[in-house]
Amino acid sequence: MEKINFILFIAAVLLVPVSASSQPPLYQKCLLCHGRPGFKKMMPGGKVLELFVNKTELEHSIHSKLHCTDCHADVMEIPHSKTPGKVNCFRCHYKDNPNNAKPANEFFHSIHGRLLEKGDPKAPGCQDCHGGHNVQKVDSPLSTVNHQNVAFTCGKCHKQQYDNYIESIHGTALLDRHIQSAPTCTTCHGKHLILKPDNPEASIYPLNVLNVCSKCHENKELIKKYNIPGGRISTYRESFHGIADEFGSVRAANCASCHRAHFILPQSDPRSSINPKNLAKTCGKCHPNANVNFTKGKIHVNYKSKSTGILYYIGMFFEILTLSTLTLLFIHILLDLFRRYKAGELSKNHRHGE
Amino acid sequence: MPDRYKDAREKFIEELEKDVIESLNIRDDKELSTRAKQLLRDETARDLSFFVDSRLKRVVRLLKRQQRIKSKLEKKEKWEKNTVQRFNIYFRIQHIMLFTSVVLLIITGLPLKFPGATASRILMSIMGGITTQGIIHRAGALLLIGFYVFHTLYTIFNKEGRRDFMLLLPRPRDFKDVFQMIKYFFGLSKEKPRFDRFSYIEKFDYWAVYWGGIVMVGSGLIMWLHNLTLRYLPKYVYDIAREAHSDEALLATLTIVIWHFYNVHFNPSRFPGSLIWWHGRLTKQEMIEEHPLEYERIIKDKQDSND
Repeated sequence: MEKINFILFIAAVLLVPVSASSQPPLYQKCLLCHGRPGFKKMMPGGKVLELFVNKTELEHSIHSKLHCTDCHADVMEIPHSKTPGKVNCFRCHYKDNPNNAKPANEFFHSIHGRLLEKGDPKAPGCQDCHGGHNVQKVDSPLSTVNHQNVAFTCGKCHKQQYDNYIESIHGTALLDRHIQSAPTCTTCHGKHLILKPDNPEASIYPLNVLNVCSKCHENKELIKKYNIPGGRISTYRESFHGIADEFGSVRAANCASCHRAHFILPQSDPRSSINPKNLAKTCGKCHPNANVNFTKGKIHVNYKSKSTGILYYIGMFFEILTLSTLTLLFIHILLDLFRRYKAGELSKNHRHGE
Repeated sequence: MPDRYKDAREKFIEELEKDVIESLNIRDDKELSTRAKQLLRDETARDLSFFVDSRLKRVVRLLKRQQRIKSKLEKKEKWEKNTVQRFNIYFRIQHIMLFTSVVLLIITGLPLKFPGATASRILMSIMGGITTQGIIHRAGALLLIGFYVFHTLYTIFNKEGRRDFMLLLPRPRDFKDVFQMIKYFFGLSKEKPRFDRFSYIEKFDYWAVYWGGIVMVGSGLIMWLHNLTLRYLPKYVYDIAREAHSDEALLATLTIVIWHFYNVHFNPSRFPGSLIWWHGRLTKQEMIEEHPLEYERIIKDKQDSND
């Protein structure tokens, strides 16, 4: 093996000028070894480290124009004497870089980035989501992180959330019915800057959940196109939960508290947390001893709509009462002032009782 | 004490007396000057001190205080002679309870009515967030409920309370008064309606609070104890309570700020307000002008009791 490697190395060195002049891809030399299927190494623990690099994959990746050492920058000689270290994507993907690579510095602040920095072996790096040699542009259908595929990619670690998501209305819409407007993981959680829900900056922090959901559920075009129930956000804002949320109460129920985060299902589905059968249990998470009374009446109440029945008429009754009362009182005040003006009481020199 | 000092002492005291009376400017006030002399003698009789200065100061201070108290009493007596006790202490306590609770409830309640407004956010941050706001609002509610309990007990068990309640009931005369007031406003009549203890304006205020109290306390309790009420009542009852609470609150707030504040603060004969809520007294002049029938009855009652 050692001998073969050496011969290959000599061959590679000799081939350098040739390959440079005819401008084949710059990774030709490395592929002399790494291009052979089955090129692998036994690790001390008995684990097999796959060292084969698929040339086709590489050629079709977004990085096809790069040289191996652009990423594997610690390889200074062939054959390399040391095991190359982990690839650092931030050699290019930083803000205002000259290569026009998309910056991803936000990743360091994300929960994944922070765990990685701490040395958590489970924490994902760039390659875990984006792939290594086969990395694609995000809008490519082959990309592991495009809208359609990213859920599967996240699901590799977040198994339970994935299982829930693919069953949910969002998951079935995107994965089964291929509705591209349907949200996937990154729509709500963000891309590189994924934060834990207890971080106030996270898009899914209790106080920010409403903003996330309203991106689609307050979008008139989407509501019309896909026949989504409208007025969900405005009615929530009017509800006491919404008002408490507005004033910064983390305890108050947000969208996900009732509709769940991943296993969101329409009310008609018997598994749905907001199905009338399950509603008492859902409300019971916060309201002890919640019973069937919670289902008698709408939850998203639009006080100004006629469809709420008695509420609409009560609102109207008070509106008429307020307007008529205040009009009469106001007229009384104006007449009183008018009379005082006529009597000269409003002039500066006049004082009461004199 | 040797005799030869006695004369000197007498002379000294006399001079001191003269000084004190001069300095207090009470030469004409016989009562005060005698009292001053007496005090001075008492002081110096104890011993002829070398600290005359401090003695003198003390005497002067005592006298001045007496004088102040006296003039205050006189003033009070004169004022009481010229005024009529219109509201008794229970009445005033009730009013103070009512306005304290209402102010608290309005300040803490309005941000919930208009959650999007900047003013609401500022008010809420001053209060320290929605948790504190909730506590203050509920404290205000307890005070308001306390007021209603107090008022009910007062109406049932106090003689004046019972009388006031009867006088507050609407009667045909009130409609005549409204009509007369309109005539007066337009200059068709020079006479203002002659009111009894409670004018139609005050009766309106009273019954507005009565109605408002039932709506606000009722709906408020349904919401406060929602985990209890929802056990027995369907959710739409809670929604009705909320709608009514919010709407009635706005009606009450506007009525208080526009109507009641005009009547007791902003109208030209009252501006910027009086202390009647504290002492409960109206001058005879005001009584004759605003509640002539009540005034006449008070005078009559006094004469009857004197006879």
